[in-house]
Amino acid sequence: MNKNTAKRVVVTGLGIITAIGESIPIFQKALFNGECGIGSVSLFDTTGFTCEVAAQVKIKDLKEFFGAKGIKRVSRCDLLGLIATHEALLDSDLDSKRSSKKDIGVVLGGGAGGMLSWEKYRRTSWLKKTKARPSPLLSIAQGTLTDLIASRYRLTGSRATISTACSSSATSIGFGFDLIRSGAHEIVITGGSESLSELTFAGFNALRLMDPEYCRPFDKSRRGLSLGEGAAILILENYESAEQRGATIYAEVLGYATNSDAFHMTSPDPEAMGMSRVMTKTLETANVSIDQVDYINAHGTATKINDQMETKAIKRVFGEKGARALAISSTKSMVGHCLGASGAIEAVATVLALCEQVVPPTIHLDNPDPDCDLDYVPNNSRTQEMRIALNNSFAFGGNNTSVVFCRG
Amino acid sequence: MIDIVITGIGVISPMGVGREAFWENCRKAKTGIKKITSFDTSSLRSNIAGWVDDFDPSQFMSPGVYRRMSRISRMAVASSVEAVKDSRLILDTIDKERVAVIMGTSYGSSSYVEDFYISLLKDGPRGAQPFLFPETVPNAPASHIAMFHGITGPNTTFCQNEISAENAILYSQNLLIQNQVDVALVGGADELSAILYSCYNAVGALKKIKVENDELVNPKPGDGLILGEGAGVLVMERLDFALERNAKIYGILRSGAITGGMTSVGHYEVEGEQMARAMFLAMKKANIKLDEIDQINVSANFSGELDRMEYNQLKKIFRKPTKDLSVTPLKYLIGDFGGAGVIRAAAILLSLYHQVPLPTVSAQTLKGESQRSIEWDLHSTDKTQVALMTSTTFGGGSTSLVFTKS
Repeated sequence: MNKNTAKRVVVTGLGIITAIGESIPIFQKALFNGECGIGSVSLFDTTGFTCEVAAQVKIKDLKEFFGAKGIKRVSRCDLLGLIATHEALLDSDLDSKRSSKKDIGVVLGGGAGGMLSWEKYRRTSWLKKTKARPSPLLSIAQGTLTDLIASRYRLTGSRATISTACSSSATSIGFGFDLIRSGAHEIVITGGSESLSELTFAGFNALRLMDPEYCRPFDKSRRGLSLGEGAAILILENYESAEQRGATIYAEVLGYATNSDAFHMTSPDPEAMGMSRVMTKTLETANVSIDQVDYINAHGTATKINDQMETKAIKRVFGEKGARALAISSTKSMVGHCLGASGAIEAVATVLALCEQVVPPTIHLDNPDPDCDLDYVPNNSRTQEMRIALNNSFAFGGNNTSVVFCRG
Repeated sequence: MIDIVITGIGVISPMGVGREAFWENCRKAKTGIKKITSFDTSSLRSNIAGWVDDFDPSQFMSPGVYRRMSRISRMAVASSVEAVKDSRLILDTIDKERVAVIMGTSYGSSSYVEDFYISLLKDGPRGAQPFLFPETVPNAPASHIAMFHGITGPNTTFCQNEISAENAILYSQNLLIQNQVDVALVGGADELSAILYSCYNAVGALKKIKVENDELVNPKPGDGLILGEGAGVLVMERLDFALERNAKIYGILRSGAITGGMTSVGHYEVEGEQMARAMFLAMKKANIKLDEIDQINVSANFSGELDRMEYNQLKKIFRKPTKDLSVTPLKYLIGDFGGAGVIRAAAILLSLYHQVPLPTVSAQTLKGESQRSIEWDLHSTDKTQVALMTSTTFGGGSTSLVFTKS
């Protein structure tokens, strides 16, 4: 694309719901305080699994958010997504009746979508004790949340749902960035949502990838990841349009890249080539040099292989010395691994870090793995000057995405 | 505007496995909709679908490669093998980091989701089968394509119901225009599984139709969806890249647009305003006028709702008696699924390449008022330069693509 005509892309609204906070102010406080959202699961029975914990959103009835009129036949994943969207649109001042902007795109990332609803149906029909009600099936399509948001706010712009497991919502930010940069849209709603489900819980358990207690990214005693759930929405906007309407600018999206390990469905390649190439490509695309990066919000799942490979990749890209100068943290240590929503949740954490000039910590990091010897900001957040931050997401299937943000 | 061309096609469809078989049946409008014999349908209201009954993955890859792949991944990889071969690209001689794999699917491997979940219900937490789980993610087919060919460039999967593949095409077009990649393998894939079919049956979305024999079925449009399955992959590249390597060019993707209409979950946009807007946006970008369009490829899928909406909008847009307006509803021959967009695009491109228009029906057929079976008009040779492909999904999204011969 001609660099002169390419539009600048900024973040003008944020919304979030996670196990450590159901709105941006609460989430931000918990994030910087290093609170842990991992605990018992009430959505389904976890008895008998090697790991019985996850970072479940604590609110008992999510439907209460929608007032007396309520909301029907919407899956948990979609409820979480709608709650985060509501906050983000209010925050960006696009929800008001005054706003006539309707040609807004909705591009989200999804993971298991309405799986929890499908499971309810499937379990009942499999047990054959009572007839299974088919209504939960209506929300099993991955694109449902994207459609629900567009319909609720009467938005007529582009619609897409990306499903690349753990990098889905990071790529959605990338596609939103493309749509604005190319001039196709002024505003795009990006992000993603994920609810816990038996399928993913049993899946990661079966693969022996879960820590029975809580995840400890980069720690020597780590035994795997903790699953989480939540949603995060980022309103992306053309810089000029945002300036014109006097919107709050949280940060600028400078670029992104995606690639494939082309190696294995569940393991990163042992030389960390995919991870390092995606970071390099992202910085190249964004025209950012390695010494300009201050902070990396790591994928940091707390599986042995991910943390070591990610560390190796960061060193490969930034050099030993450059890598040591970076602040790196895994916010999954607090919110768990929210799969399809994790890229967006971590993007929000990154944007908040840049806004407040505070690096979120990696909690539960007491005995660093000797092979993970960088500055992971253990246990306590840190006030620090930061301008540019990178956000990594690496997924099942070898799908890698990095997004680079600059302080607004 | 930078021209994006299609230089390779691979198709695994209910109308034939492989590009040649598919095209032969396309020309004859020979339907791929038939009685389902791959799973038990006795308790369901319907027993027909557009399904692939003669697919043998060993014709495309060795058993060791596909042993643990789900059906959707097998079909997707197979169609990528055919498409790459057709394009005469020698992947090992180009920078594989500059090749993208972008796919669209509605549900990914629903059969592996079912098998994994049932293994959990049956055998408890410790009995759940670990090897099934990684295949349950919708991006598994795209990852297998990347692994099979060693492609390390951008890799993304779209799941926007029935416009999933169209989203993949448009995302790839952008990657190519931005010069992020030189080549994109763009695909669409879905598998028909017993669980998916029974879920559609449970919500009452399927057409009520039961047939006795294994014969091909030619249903009447109007009152219920007919599901399908299959996979297709297109090799897309910038015109300059294709010319430089002296590639065979099927046609040009001139432009495309996505819009969104308002509707409730599981339903189609009622009036079709946004479907029409996508059409006009795409035509404007392509600098094409209504009277220049030689082929209209519609997304009607027997659901009634979508078919009537398309009929009403086309009537408004083209302002001529609908009996004189011909359209190609390819889903009437292959059934409906999220990856079908690539197979529809493949049909259009083959038609542009061979200069043989696709079979058509009168637009009035979409109204679903006729009691007779669909009557297809077959065309021999004729000039066909410009094709418009309109797609609308339940949930409200629409896309429009313009393909041209040159």
